[in-house]
Amino acid sequence: MNATAPPSPAPPAATAGRLIDPAVLMGIRHLELRARVVVEGFWSGLHRSPYHGFSVEFTEYRAYTPGDDLRYLDWRVLARSDRYYVKRFEDETNLRCHLLVDQSRSMAFGSLPYTKADYAATLAASLAWFLNLQGDAVGLLTFDARVGEYVPPRHRPGHLRRLLFVLDRPAAGRGTDLTAPLARAAELLRKRGLVVLISDFLAPLDRLQAALLELAAGGHEIVLFQILDPAESDFDFRLPAVFEDLESGRTLQLDPVAARAEYRRRLAEHDAALREMCRRLGISFTRLETRQPLELALFEFLRRRTERGRRHARVARPPGRGIAPSR
Amino acid sequence: MNFLAPWFWLGALAVAGPLIFHLVRRTTRERVPFSSLLFLRPAPPRLTRRNRLEHLLLLALRCLVLVLLAAGFARPFLHQLFPALAPEGPARRTVLLVDTSASMRRGDLWSRALARADALLRRAGPADQVAVLTFDHTVTPRVTFEQWNAAPVTERAALARAQLAAIQPGWAATHLDTALIRAAELAAEPAPAAGELARQVVVLSDLQTGSRTAALQGHEWPREVTFRFEPLPPPRASNAALHWLPESDETAPPTEGPAAVRLRVVNAPDATREQFRVGWAAAGSADFAAPPLEVYVPPGQSRVVALAPLPNAPAGAVRLTGDDEPFDNLVFVAPPQPVPLRVLYFGREAAGDPRSARFFLERAFPPTRHREVRVLALDPAQPPPAAVIEDAALAVVTVPCSPALGAALRPLLARGRAVLFVPPEAAAAASLAELVPGARLAAEERQPADYALLGELDFRHPLLAPFADPRFSDFSKIRFWRHRRLDLAGCPEARVLARFDSGDPAMVDLPAGRGRVLVWAAGWQPAESQLALATKFVPLLHSVLDLSAGPPPTAVQFSVGEPIPLPELPAAARAAAAMRGPDGAVTPLPAGATQFERTDAPGLYELVAGETVWRRAVNLAPGESRLEPLAVEELERLGVPATPASPPPALAAARQQRLLAAELENRQKLWRWCLLAALGLVALETFLAGRAARRHAMLQPVSS
Repeated sequence: MNATAPPSPAPPAATAGRLIDPAVLMGIRHLELRARVVVEGFWSGLHRSPYHGFSVEFTEYRAYTPGDDLRYLDWRVLARSDRYYVKRFEDETNLRCHLLVDQSRSMAFGSLPYTKADYAATLAASLAWFLNLQGDAVGLLTFDARVGEYVPPRHRPGHLRRLLFVLDRPAAGRGTDLTAPLARAAELLRKRGLVVLISDFLAPLDRLQAALLELAAGGHEIVLFQILDPAESDFDFRLPAVFEDLESGRTLQLDPVAARAEYRRRLAEHDAALREMCRRLGISFTRLETRQPLELALFEFLRRRTERGRRHARVARPPGRGIAPSR
Repeated sequence: MNFLAPWFWLGALAVAGPLIFHLVRRTTRERVPFSSLLFLRPAPPRLTRRNRLEHLLLLALRCLVLVLLAAGFARPFLHQLFPALAPEGPARRTVLLVDTSASMRRGDLWSRALARADALLRRAGPADQVAVLTFDHTVTPRVTFEQWNAAPVTERAALARAQLAAIQPGWAATHLDTALIRAAELAAEPAPAAGELARQVVVLSDLQTGSRTAALQGHEWPREVTFRFEPLPPPRASNAALHWLPESDETAPPTEGPAAVRLRVVNAPDATREQFRVGWAAAGSADFAAPPLEVYVPPGQSRVVALAPLPNAPAGAVRLTGDDEPFDNLVFVAPPQPVPLRVLYFGREAAGDPRSARFFLERAFPPTRHREVRVLALDPAQPPPAAVIEDAALAVVTVPCSPALGAALRPLLARGRAVLFVPPEAAAAASLAELVPGARLAAEERQPADYALLGELDFRHPLLAPFADPRFSDFSKIRFWRHRRLDLAGCPEARVLARFDSGDPAMVDLPAGRGRVLVWAAGWQPAESQLALATKFVPLLHSVLDLSAGPPPTAVQFSVGEPIPLPELPAAARAAAAMRGPDGAVTPLPAGATQFERTDAPGLYELVAGETVWRRAVNLAPGESRLEPLAVEELERLGVPATPASPPPALAAARQQRLLAAELENRQKLWRWCLLAALGLVALETFLAGRAARRHAMLQPVSS
């Protein structure tokens, strides 16, 4: 088979009409149900019928890349969508994923009916659900000023539920200090794997870079998800007020109309610096607003991983063998 | 617009609250939790045009609510919104009774009475009827109801005011009872074609306790008439009164020279002064004619002092000094002057014969302070001249009355005098017909075995009335040795005054025209009886003289307004008699006048008749010096249907204004609209403030 480059997963824009409104999603009380809805919605966006002919053993879909064993090509998907996807089985996966979720006080902010922390927990739960379905081992580490909970990555019955239980637990909500938790995470995460860091990253970047370097030095693949509230992005306040920092308690009296432009500029600078830092460190960075559907996060996650896997496959694919494990 | 309770406008000062809060809250205190202030710098709030407008609108609404609340509580009303209220109640028939007694001469009482009367007259409505009376010891109408109703409406008050302005208080006493009764009768008189009337009597007086109120007790007042007393607050003053105490003993002998004058000084219970001076007043000045007496009288007590007469000239007035009210400090004094009387005696005894009736008769009339009796013995055979008969007070005949004598004495009888006829023997009794034509008196001589006594006396007759007292009514000790036995069959008009124990008439009263003939059956000389030697002889003869000439005029002091009885004047002096008053005015006395009534002012009144001058003193009634206020409750206790006094005119007008304003406000109830508007503004402010708050809340993030 002349394998042509499989197309990347459909961009989120093509499937936006079928994405779940986050406000509706966040109205689901149970985190596990929310995660399942997100993942199933994500699959639906990909295959329209994720359960049809879907095997519990089948845990991964990835785009076909030239050289992949055609025995794993999903002919049905090809027949339906003219897209080439190969199936991977559980025993073919040995990805170890660590979800690092920020539960500091700044994550408790939200201008929508739900906070950034709710959104981050749902994102983390969705990723855990998705990775677990693919047969990957998923672990969890929550932190604020220090490490809160740590669940080592496993792939066994009941482990996912434990992760969701930890994520669903209300956080203490202390101040943010990325340095110490990430340093601690670097100590805990001995084996290489995927590290997904979910935070708002509203902190000085110099100390964050050092922490990320330490993590990257451990050979981990790092993915950053920045969660921001629309109010943080736009700063669309109108009435003068005394603004109070949720973490430090510091107050500032200001006219938001007058301060908006400066705020946005500085936020953009911070965002640009953060992206640059990630680029230099080879870290995948995705910025999400809590008003964006979570399926887009999964799409983005999968797309970046696909791009990364393609690069790795070109560089080191044993001929005639199956798909090399992607990193 | 007016306000019933304008003080509530002070509540509008509460608008300062929202103003202060508005100024204070220019800096916001609203806190907005935010995730991080990492990208924020301090920026003071700016008030945009919209914010400023929102704040000012809310401020204006809040201030307006407070203003409307204050306005509502201040009870606004409009005078022009409703027509004038109808006058209260029916028309009134009012009798205005104004006191003009001597006590009203004090201070400015009279001017205040005029002012009060003027205010009452001004308040009279077109349908009201008013009559004005003044009173002291009499009631004098000044404006009648007919005069009031006949006058144009706009001139009625002026008419009454002019009448009152033309008079002044007099010197008379206050007969409050007479005045109230007369005013009530006048107010109760039916007023035809006047409809329903409220009848009232308004009394303007100082209401002093010296006012006479005796006739009020038990009086039946007209049901529909009410009394309203407007007491005039008297000036606070300490008052003492001076009263002359003339000699009251009629039989007191005349003194040699002028006697000391007895005076009583009475100090009021509320007086603040105790030391006074009493002395003869110098003519034409306020000084004393001689060193006065120092008198100490504590408040509420009196003292009697004897003031020695002036050595050189007769004085007429005594002055009191040392108190605050001078109107009653001058007392006029007129020493008693004995009235000369002539008794004609017709008998044949010689003068000085102690066995004769004449002897005892001449000694039965000693001179007193009030009467000087002269017994004139005349020859019965020669009738006296008419002039002698004209001036005689009594004639005593102890001889048979000849026709000439009878003719001469009949004019005496025609003047109302009396003739005492004592027939000396039985044959002389028939001569009574000469005195009383047509009277046939028969008599026979009686000589009892031992004596006769008076057994039956008619003490109802004025001759014997002075002896009616059981202490003086015993005539049984008087023995009569001889008497005529009178046969009164021919004198049907004779009245037996006394009888002997045998039943025979002893004293008989026979009318003779205007006079009378007293017939005694026995003489008083010792040959006939013991009467001349009895203690009753002199008073009996004086009684005969009083019966003939009238009692002696003992009263020398009279009150203002009290008529002065005139004494018997000689015929020659009677025609030119005149009374000279204290002011020197001479009033001729009409013929036959028995009293002088124009005693309007205190002073000495002199009756001038020829060369004789009789003086009489006219002083203030003693009650006019009792100036303590008489409580209206005391009048109510006496049965007078009194109502509370009206307030001063200014206060009454102000009260009327307030009542009118309250009535208007109660009808209009504008306070309701103020409260409704305030509630509406509150609702509007709530809506606008809520909308602004919601808009603000939509921009605030939710933090958990």
